[in-house]
Amino acid sequence: MHRRLTRRDFLNYAAMAAAAPIFEIKPLRGIDFLLQNSPTPRKFLIETMPGGVALFDYNNDGLLDIFMVNGGRITESLHVPENFERSNPRYWNRLYRQNRDGSFLDVTQAAGLASAGNGNYGMGVAVGDYDNDGNADLYVTSYGKNILYHNNGDGTFTDVTSKAGVAGGGWSVSAGFFDYDNDGRLDLFVTRYMEWDSDHNKICGGDWHTYCPPNAFPATTCLLYHNRGDGTFEDVTERSGLAAKKGRALGVAFADYDGDGFTDIFVSNDGMQQYLFHNNGDGTFTECALESGVAFTADGKGMSGMGTVFQDYDNDGRPDVLVTVLPREIYSLYHNEGGGNFNYASLEAGLGTMTSMSSGWGVGLEDFDNDGWKDLFVAQGHVLDNVQDIDASLRYRELPLLALNHKGRFERADSGVTEPLAARGVAFGDINNDGSIDAVISCLGGPPVLLLNRGGGTNHWLTILLQGTRSNRDGYGARVSVNGQTRVATSAGSYLCANDKRVHFGLGSAEKATVEILWPSGVKQILNDVRADQFLSVREPERS
Amino acid sequence: MIHLFLYAWLAGQAGNSEAIQHLQAGLEARKQHQVELEIAEFRKATESDPNSAEAYVNLGSAYLEKRDYGAAIAPLKRALELSPDLPVAHQLIGYALLAQGYSAEAIPHLQRVGALDALGIAQLETNQLTEAVSTFTQALAQRPGDPDLLYYLGHASGLLSKDAIDNLLATHPDSARAHQALAENYYVLRQMPQAEKEYQEALRLRPELPGLHLELGQVYANSAQWPKAEAEFRAECKLRPGNAEAGYRLGAALLQQGKAQDALPELKRSNELKPEMPETLYSLGKAASLNGDSATAERAWLKVIELEKNTSLAAQAHFGLAGLYRKQGKSALAQHEMQEFQKLQSTIGPPRSE
Repeated sequence: MHRRLTRRDFLNYAAMAAAAPIFEIKPLRGIDFLLQNSPTPRKFLIETMPGGVALFDYNNDGLLDIFMVNGGRITESLHVPENFERSNPRYWNRLYRQNRDGSFLDVTQAAGLASAGNGNYGMGVAVGDYDNDGNADLYVTSYGKNILYHNNGDGTFTDVTSKAGVAGGGWSVSAGFFDYDNDGRLDLFVTRYMEWDSDHNKICGGDWHTYCPPNAFPATTCLLYHNRGDGTFEDVTERSGLAAKKGRALGVAFADYDGDGFTDIFVSNDGMQQYLFHNNGDGTFTECALESGVAFTADGKGMSGMGTVFQDYDNDGRPDVLVTVLPREIYSLYHNEGGGNFNYASLEAGLGTMTSMSSGWGVGLEDFDNDGWKDLFVAQGHVLDNVQDIDASLRYRELPLLALNHKGRFERADSGVTEPLAARGVAFGDINNDGSIDAVISCLGGPPVLLLNRGGGTNHWLTILLQGTRSNRDGYGARVSVNGQTRVATSAGSYLCANDKRVHFGLGSAEKATVEILWPSGVKQILNDVRADQFLSVREPERS
Repeated sequence: MIHLFLYAWLAGQAGNSEAIQHLQAGLEARKQHQVELEIAEFRKATESDPNSAEAYVNLGSAYLEKRDYGAAIAPLKRALELSPDLPVAHQLIGYALLAQGYSAEAIPHLQRVGALDALGIAQLETNQLTEAVSTFTQALAQRPGDPDLLYYLGHASGLLSKDAIDNLLATHPDSARAHQALAENYYVLRQMPQAEKEYQEALRLRPELPGLHLELGQVYANSAQWPKAEAEFRAECKLRPGNAEAGYRLGAALLQQGKAQDALPELKRSNELKPEMPETLYSLGKAASLNGDSATAERAWLKVIELEKNTSLAAQAHFGLAGLYRKQGKSALAQHEMQEFQKLQSTIGPPRSE
């Protein structure tokens, strides 16, 4: 029986629609992945740290595909040299190709990505077209050896780690491609957590029997590889000056924070000060976090830096830094004041109330509601699987944090997730190409969670696919400004993850946009009267 | 000390010559640390002169030396029968009885000679907690900083406190104070939901009770429920406008929520009520800095450094000043403060978030 819609009904429905969460949880059709972190009573620290997610279009069909990094099999009898038995398919990393109907197909084996190396326990992933052939390549980090997969452009990948010289070693975590010397070729940065192996594992917490804090293990260096342009990389960690700083690095993000034309590196360290490596433009870096104001909290305290993002949250054109941390700390937001200085802005931005009881990992500043302000999303869940026994006010599984940006101040919003997760990585991208940013979260011991943005509002958007010519083909490092907003083009950031490389902007009510792109090559490109609500491909001019 | 006293006392005493010989032989044996011989000689002295209080005191003393407290009691009792005012006998029998667990019996002897430390222990063991606290306090006035006395005073005070609370819970289980006591207990155990419930019940019963809003606010602060914490601290401030801590907590809760403008007057007020509290001054500096009041921030943080010198709070103040000077373009001062911060970090360790 049909009933006439009264004005009251209309208002009620409108109110309900307004209150509806931005995301809805969608089953990932065709994805049967379970993140095998293999927790044991021996509390090996690696168990609580995976795993990465990449959103990228490996076959250039215009649809985002999903790559999931798996942990590995851990037994209680684990000893050096460790064997994580990655040959069993349940421990494989997985590549899922998106079909036109939004479902996914497991193409891991067909793509040649089944073997992850039995001595490797998987961690994270970076995506970048390191050989500028137009195909997205994959770099997978591990405890053990890292793997560089070259995308052959025919749906398959080839393990070129040995030839490329980027195996690393030890415990690698987040990684990212960027072009630090503006030579048009993507270089590679890899964070490493600490000096650890299963023979030197420790158990902490007395009777509680927990994973140990990071300072129970020696610090180590990150790795920087320079792309020679012939399919090989040179380890320039020492020469660049990065080896001088040991840390306990988990996250990395890139941006040219001081506008000198060279991409700088922010590294989030666990349980200590954070690092900001200023790019000197001559192949060397200077660590300057303390002088720049991003090393500590406003109280001069170290923090449990986990994930990080390096984007402009307040639309002043300068990239800011956000670091996720553990409970009883506050997610650290550093506002870029210009002149190489940052100001701790967590409290003013509203993060003090929102984040002091949460454990944050993967993080993104994305404009989920397309209102022209980048919102905050954090994958959350405590490090310790028994934390609730130790501190009843904390939880191992948590809801993710979605905080909408109201002109530089964040306010909590309903993410749409109702079941707490042991979340770690989160990657962002427009999976269904509807002009709204979606998210995929990795969860320890469980399947990934797809948060599909409902979109459908009246706000407009613009998504830009960069194609560098003199700059690196992905355009990583380009500074893209649209109607007064700025984004650094990158797929790095978050924790262990690689985001959709397309540069997304919410335009609010604007139906036209002015686009300004400052390419890493120094070329400045301006596009006027760009129509909203489209995917725009922009090729870097050959000549300025 | 007791031995010296005995020598002096004995010099002035005389009994029969045989007894005196044994007494002297006993004292000689004591000098040679031959305790068995000492006991044998003093025993012979008591046999030679059964009315010699000094012989019995020495025999008891010898047993004490041997740590045979049970055997010491009888000769010391006999000594007191013969000479009821003998102070040394009271002291020794007090110790012996206490060592054997006869605390109640020991008390009058220890009281008589003013042996405060042993008396306090005896009172503690006989559950005379108020008296024990008083005795240990007196003893500490004579021997300030004595670790044993500090321990016993703490222990006795704790038991006295528990006793009072048990009594409260048993006699007035539905009173506001009983709920407050339970809440405090839950707070210590970090069981915040239970603590919150008990505090709310206490407040329902006696909404005007000082301290309840402050404590409930801290429960909320502990679980990062800052708006609720703010409301409770505000209620406490209204109830007790002269309470500096309530003002400080309110200011800190406002700061946590990024309400620096509202926090500043509260922290200023708290600082006026109770000046030179380093935590208040540090937060005041922070609120002032966030409000762009650099002069107040600088003054507050410099005061923290003056008061605290080498603590982590001083390090934080140096760090705050470095940031303040950096913003003002005072590079040399900023660098100096950062160096001081780093210097303190290297001596006291890097500050960590709570």
